[in-house]
Amino acid sequence: MSNVLEELNQKVIEGKLEIVQELTRQAIAEGHDPEEIINQGLIMGMNVVGVRFKAGDMYVPEVLMCARAMSGGMEIVKPLLMGKEIVSAGKVLIGTVKGDLHDIGKNLVAMLLESVGFNVINLGTDITTEQFIQAIKEHKPDVLGLSALLTTTMLGMKDIIDQLVEEGMRDEIKVIIGGAPISQEFSDEIGADGFAPDGASATELCQKLLA
Amino acid sequence: MYPALKGSQLRLFDDAQIHTLHEGVVRLLEEVGMKVKSKQAFEIFEKGGAIVDPVSEIVKIPREMLEKAIKIAPSKVVIHGREEKHDAVLEKNRVHFGTGGTVMYALDFETGVRRVTTTHDVRDLARLVDSLDNIAFYVIHTYPADVAEEDVDANRFYWAITNTTKPIMGGMYTMKGLREAIQISEMVAGGADQLRERPFVSFITLMVTPLVMDGHYTDFLIEVAKKGLPIAVPSEPLAGATSPVTLAATITINLAETLAGLTLAQLVNPGTPTLIGTTSSIMDMKTGTYVAGAIESSLINAGVAQMAQYYDLPLYATGGQSDSKLNDCQAGYESASQAMTLGLSGANWIHDAAGLLECCTTVSYEKTVIDNEIIGNVLRVLKGVEVNEETLAIELIKKVGPAGNFLANPHTAEHFRDEFFMPKVADRLNRITWKAKGSMDTHQRAHLLAEELLQNHRAKPINPEIRDEIRRMFPGIKGEDLV
Repeated sequence: MSNVLEELNQKVIEGKLEIVQELTRQAIAEGHDPEEIINQGLIMGMNVVGVRFKAGDMYVPEVLMCARAMSGGMEIVKPLLMGKEIVSAGKVLIGTVKGDLHDIGKNLVAMLLESVGFNVINLGTDITTEQFIQAIKEHKPDVLGLSALLTTTMLGMKDIIDQLVEEGMRDEIKVIIGGAPISQEFSDEIGADGFAPDGASATELCQKLLA
Repeated sequence: MYPALKGSQLRLFDDAQIHTLHEGVVRLLEEVGMKVKSKQAFEIFEKGGAIVDPVSEIVKIPREMLEKAIKIAPSKVVIHGREEKHDAVLEKNRVHFGTGGTVMYALDFETGVRRVTTTHDVRDLARLVDSLDNIAFYVIHTYPADVAEEDVDANRFYWAITNTTKPIMGGMYTMKGLREAIQISEMVAGGADQLRERPFVSFITLMVTPLVMDGHYTDFLIEVAKKGLPIAVPSEPLAGATSPVTLAATITINLAETLAGLTLAQLVNPGTPTLIGTTSSIMDMKTGTYVAGAIESSLINAGVAQMAQYYDLPLYATGGQSDSKLNDCQAGYESASQAMTLGLSGANWIHDAAGLLECCTTVSYEKTVIDNEIIGNVLRVLKGVEVNEETLAIELIKKVGPAGNFLANPHTAEHFRDEFFMPKVADRLNRITWKAKGSMDTHQRAHLLAEELLQNHRAKPINPEIRDEIRRMFPGIKGEDLV
C-alpha cells in the first residue's frame, strides 16, 4: 500500500480530522482512485478502531473522533465517485418512542452505526407511531431502531410493530429495540427482530440481521 | 521520578493540638525514656548526650538532642528505582502506595487454598507490582519458607531486585543476611558508592512498643545507618494493649519511639536517610487480638502523618489492609476506607496497601490487583479537580447549547482519560452482558487480570553476567530465573 494511504489509516485511528482531510486531498492529488482511498485509506483505519474498541483498548469518545475523521475524509472523496454509490452497510431509521425524551443512548447507537458504514436517519425523540410509519414509507430503511428509557414508554414499541403488521410492511424491515429497561424477553414478546444491551453491540446486531 | 500526588487534605489537628502532641513526645522521651537493649546503641546514645542508666538500660533523650536530630535528618529521602522513572521522592505530603507485610501465607493462585509462601511468591509478587501502575514500590512482603533462615534475606532481596525496577524495601532476619542483601544490591548497582548514590533498596527496622529498642533490630539499624542507606524506623503501638486506648496517647507514644530511632540513626551517621514510621493499629476488644483493617489504625496513621509534616520528616505509614479471609465485601471496604484516609493524610510511603488479607498474615494475588484499583480511586481523589479555561469549558457549552450533547465533542475525547479514572477490575456492564461474560465477581475478574500479567510481564532484567556471578557467590539463593 502507498504511504499516503497507510498514513491515512493511522490518522483515522488517531481521530485527527484536519490531517485526514489533508491526506485525503493529497491522495487525490497523487492520483489514487477514489474507491481505493475510501476502502484502503479511510475504512481500513476505522476497522482497526472497531477491533480496538471491542477489546477495550479504545473508548466511546475516541471512536466517535475516529468516525468524525473518517467522514471528514469521505466528504472530500465522495464528489469524485461520479455517480458510483459508496457501498453502504445498510440504511437504519432510528428514534426514541413517544413520551420519551431520552436522546444520548440512541444518538450513540446512531453514531456508532455510521462509524461502521451504515446510512442512518435519526428522527430524534418523542416520535409517534404515525411519524415512524410515515418516515419508513419515505426512506425505506433496512432496519428500524426503537429506543425507550422508561418502563412507561417502552410499551409504545409494541404499538409500532403492530402497526407495521397491519400495514403489511412488517416483512420488509428488521426491527431492533434498545434502552435500559429492555430485555431479550421483552423483545421476543413484542415480536421485534433483535435487541442489543449496549451501543457497541447494536452495530453487530444490525450487521448480523442484514448479513 | 514517580509522579507523586499531594495529600494532606485531611487535617486532624489545629496548631495548638500539634503543639500539645509534640510536648507529649518530649515529655515521654525526657521523663520516661527508652529501654535500649542494644549495647552499642546504648553507648552511642550516651556519647551523644542522652541521660542513661546502665542498670535499667534506660536512655532519656533531652529536648535539645531530639530537636537537633529532627533538624539534621533529611527532610527529603529518595528511594530510587532501578529505572529512574520509578524514583520515589519522599517529602512533605507526596503520596506513594505500595506493598508490605511480612506474611507467611498466600492464597494459592491456582487452587485458592491458603499455603505457606516461598521464593516463587517473592519473585511473582515483585513482577505483579512491577506491572501495576498505581503501586509505586515493593516492600518485600512474603517470607520464603522453602529456604533456610540464614538464606532468607539474600533470597528476598535477590528475587525482588531481579523482578521489579520499582523501589524496594524489606525487613531483615539475620545480620549475615542483611550484609548479603547489601552486597547483592551493591553488585547490581556497580559498587557501594553507586548504591549509596542511587539506593534502590532500603531497609526496615523497628521499635518495640512501649518504649523499647530491641537488641537485634537496633543493631540492624546501626548497620544500615553506617552504610548510609535509607532506613525506616517505625513503631507499632496497639491501642488498648501496648499503648493507651486513646488515640492521642497512641500517636504520641508512636512518635516518641520512632523519633528515638531517628535520633539514633542520626547519631550513628548524621544525614542518614531516615523515614520515621508507624504501623500502629488497635487491639480488638472482642477477641484480644491484633487487627489490621481497623479504621482507627488509619486515624492514628493520619495523625502521625500530620505530625511528620510538622517535623518536616518523610513518613513510612501503614494502610489499605483488611482482616477478611477472602476477597469479599469486607476486604474491599476496609482496604478502601484505610487507603483513602491514608492518601488524604499525605503520608509519603504507605505500605501494606496491596495484597494483604487476614490481619496481615496472608497475601493474595487477586487482592493485589484489586488494591491497585482501590489505590487508583484514591489517587483520582488526590488529583482533585482542575479549574482553568479549558476545563471550565464555557465556550464549549455555549457552542453545544441547550439540548445538545458532549459525547461526540473533541473536548470529551481529549480530556476523558485525565478526568476519569479508568477501572480495570470494576464491573460496569449491564446485567445481560455481565451474564454473557460469565457472571464473574470481583475476585474472578481480578484473577483473570492477574493471570495475564503473571504470564506475560517480565521486569527489565539486570545484567546477566552480574546475575550469574551473584548466583555463583550465593548458592543459598533458590529457584530458576525467569527469561
